[in-house]
Amino acid sequence: MVAAGALILGIGKSLIAAELPKDLKWLSNETDPIYSDASAQKGCEFTNFILSFPPTLRFVGPDANNGFRDAITNNFFGLVERHPNTLNIVGVLATDWAYGADKKSMYFKLRQGATWSDGKPITADDYTFVLDFMRSKNIRDPWYNDYYTKFFEKIVKYDDYTISIHATKALPDLDQSIAINPLPRHFFKGQVDKDFVAKMNWEIIPNSGPYILTEIDKGKSLTLTRKQKWWGENLRYFKNRFNVDKVTYKVVREMKIAWEYFLKGKFDDYPLTFPDFWHEKSKIKEFENGYIHKLWFYNDRPRSPVGLYMNMDDPLLSDINVRKGISYAINVDKVINTILRSDYERLPRYTTGFGPYDNKNLKPLPFDIKEAKKYFALAGFKDMGPNGILHRGDQPLSVSLTYSSEQHTPRLVIFKEEARKAGLELDLQILDGTMAFKKVREKKYQMAYWAWAGNRLIPSYWEDMHSKNAHIAQTNNINNIAIKKLDDLIDQYEMESDETVKIKLSQEINEIYHTQYAFVPLFHVPYFRTAYWRWWKLPAVPATKRSQELFNVFDSMMGGMFWFDQKAYNETHTAMKAGKKLPKVEATDKTFRDKASFM
Amino acid sequence: MALLDPITRRRFKRFCSIKRGYYSFLLLLGFIVFSCFAEIFVNSRAVVVVYKGDWYFPTYGAMKPGTAFGLDYGYETNYRELKAKFEMNKDTSEGWVLLPLIPYNPLENDLVEGIYPPSAPDFSRSHYLGTDNSGRDVAARLIYGFRICIFFALFYVLCNYTVGVSLGALMGYSGGRFDLIMQRLIEIWSNIPFLYVVMIVSSILAPNFFTLAIIMVVFGWMHMTWYMRTAVYKEKTRDYSVAARALGAKPQRVIFHHILPNAVSTIVAFVPFSIAGAIYSLTSLDYLGYGLSPPTPSWGELLAQGTGQLDKPWIVMSVVCALVLVLTLVTFFGEAIREAFDPRKHTVYE
Repeated sequence: MVAAGALILGIGKSLIAAELPKDLKWLSNETDPIYSDASAQKGCEFTNFILSFPPTLRFVGPDANNGFRDAITNNFFGLVERHPNTLNIVGVLATDWAYGADKKSMYFKLRQGATWSDGKPITADDYTFVLDFMRSKNIRDPWYNDYYTKFFEKIVKYDDYTISIHATKALPDLDQSIAINPLPRHFFKGQVDKDFVAKMNWEIIPNSGPYILTEIDKGKSLTLTRKQKWWGENLRYFKNRFNVDKVTYKVVREMKIAWEYFLKGKFDDYPLTFPDFWHEKSKIKEFENGYIHKLWFYNDRPRSPVGLYMNMDDPLLSDINVRKGISYAINVDKVINTILRSDYERLPRYTTGFGPYDNKNLKPLPFDIKEAKKYFALAGFKDMGPNGILHRGDQPLSVSLTYSSEQHTPRLVIFKEEARKAGLELDLQILDGTMAFKKVREKKYQMAYWAWAGNRLIPSYWEDMHSKNAHIAQTNNINNIAIKKLDDLIDQYEMESDETVKIKLSQEINEIYHTQYAFVPLFHVPYFRTAYWRWWKLPAVPATKRSQELFNVFDSMMGGMFWFDQKAYNETHTAMKAGKKLPKVEATDKTFRDKASFM
Repeated sequence: MALLDPITRRRFKRFCSIKRGYYSFLLLLGFIVFSCFAEIFVNSRAVVVVYKGDWYFPTYGAMKPGTAFGLDYGYETNYRELKAKFEMNKDTSEGWVLLPLIPYNPLENDLVEGIYPPSAPDFSRSHYLGTDNSGRDVAARLIYGFRICIFFALFYVLCNYTVGVSLGALMGYSGGRFDLIMQRLIEIWSNIPFLYVVMIVSSILAPNFFTLAIIMVVFGWMHMTWYMRTAVYKEKTRDYSVAARALGAKPQRVIFHHILPNAVSTIVAFVPFSIAGAIYSLTSLDYLGYGLSPPTPSWGELLAQGTGQLDKPWIVMSVVCALVLVLTLVTFFGEAIREAFDPRKHTVYE
């Protein structure tokens, strides 16, 4: 009885509330440049490899965060996206959008004619269902439960093709967080079953993107097939994209073996970002004869802050002179110029690649033994010990450096040897990934080789630098930085929605953080490199500003720009049989390099 | 003393007469002694520097800053550069430098811009076995790696045997309920997969030489207990130990003074094989990245680097050859020991 009453009340409430605000300013964008190629042809199959078979096809819940997940989730399109080159908002499943007066909500007019892969239309109900779904305990995914509970306030349906989404806080790049991907309510019958996790392991859920999974050979391969008559086919930003008919992923357990398969033509592309592959392993006949092409593509996107983080709560590292000395004692250039073959670049500062938000006046400290010793002396480390390490009384200048990847050992041993020249001992401590993560997040470390992954358009600082997150475990302020002025700036920055003010605040925050020297910026790789068989064709500018791979198949904005050329395929095979040479191609694309936002 | 009794003397004679094992032992001993003085032969520090008439021996002791030899830096002198400098200015005859055979220490990165590590063997740069991923001399890492490996193995085996032999002997001597309970405990403990557990523990602890050895002992002492238990069971009923007990000797004395010397052949025959096993375990752990923390020179780490890039054969070849050589020597030595200590050779029927 009570439940029925609540139900009636609920409906009543939503009927009353569902009225659009009058003063909405609707926006749309059908004018930004097109980056696909009009000569692209449809057809053929693209084959690639994955290093392990996914433990589940579910995109939430236990084991969902696996390497294959992107191929599934990228085929669930969102409301709006950012144009990958201009970074303006463009409509995907929404045609028009408007901002609420509270700066915490957005209104969307949904695209009529957009359908799920089973033919059912995508309507407002599929959006309201997302909150029920993501907040359900039955998906057994606490992160999503928490995020969709805390960040989203509500989703309101006005009619079948008009909705609004309300967040709990204002963000300058609100669309990035608020433009959710709908889920097919009809498929789940409007609820998340208790046995969702077990039932959905190998279930193919209807999606909205251009491809859907059609073949699963457990442990061996997965195939996605292009939908005939896909709703987005002729839209401005999707035209001439998503060209291949089938995309197959085969399981190959080792990169080395995948490389051999690639050379035999079993796979269509192979990443060459690692220096040894680009410089040496590709000096073979298939490349020299022009059957396989090489492309070095510079992108321009926010960089991960890779560096040596120092714990400012540590008695030794609480002294800014010690930190500054250490910053001078780390020879990043030597590592770049030797073992990294000058392929990597020095990361200039913490916030890099965010365009105007970067403070371009900030430069990393160079390797300088004299300066390092000067600052160590200011901290009291003046006496040279018998082993060449500086001492303050009985205390040696020794810092433990925690890291977790075997691959980074060659770089760190060079840091160690070079730092000795300045009288600093780095005690390398390699730990298992989980242990290192725990140790750093619990702030029980001295120095750590660390990086944050991030995918925002605008930098955020509260988690990393606010004193509220210092001195306590399990927060991202691993520096334990706590400065009143920095706090004030961050608080202002978080609340500010005017872009010019926000940019100024970001620059000030960066300056204060930078001059604490608790972070030694190390490297960034402002490009990706790929090898691919010559029958694959790409637009004149082969990827977008924000692309991270050349043969991204499914991403709604950056994916599917390539196509298969039958003529080139026949030509190549004839040449290979005859042992004939074709022109060698090793291209570098600097379209986005020259105006890169971090320089 | 056990060493002097005629049976032992006969055993040693027999050991020396087994030439293959005997020479293997001598060679191995030679390697160990050589590795103890590796600093003289394989080092970035010069053996002798004569500068302005003064003689310096930098090998051992405190580091000498570059300023000591008229260079413009305060960190440790680069003796290779010093030598080159002296040779350049021969006419001013500032002095001369005698470098070790391999003028690199196992930790330093010899990186020259334009030459990307790993680089192939190059006699002109004195990299006789080439360099590894971070430009460190493979030969130097091999030699220092051997020293660490062999002393690690010896230390490990010593600890292992101390625990294993004492407990085994106690079990055999006491018998009864203690023996029964210990047997079950050991059976359970033995079922813990050794390498996995050591890997898990060391990934949490980032161990050094001693902690790693202790971790390995904790999970590896069980093996010897069985043999000792049986040997002591057998020996304790012999007349001499009964006599010792009758004279009022305490169990400790009976076990360690009377029974143990008579059971020594069991132990000794196992030692070389345990050493080979320890070398193998440490190398495996290092190979998997769970052994001694970097940049400790280690064979396992070299092996991992080498197998990761089979197109740079000098790394994998060096370490595989070294590993095969040492394990073969240890095995030959072990065979000879077992042969020499085989009781069947000395049984006299009257």
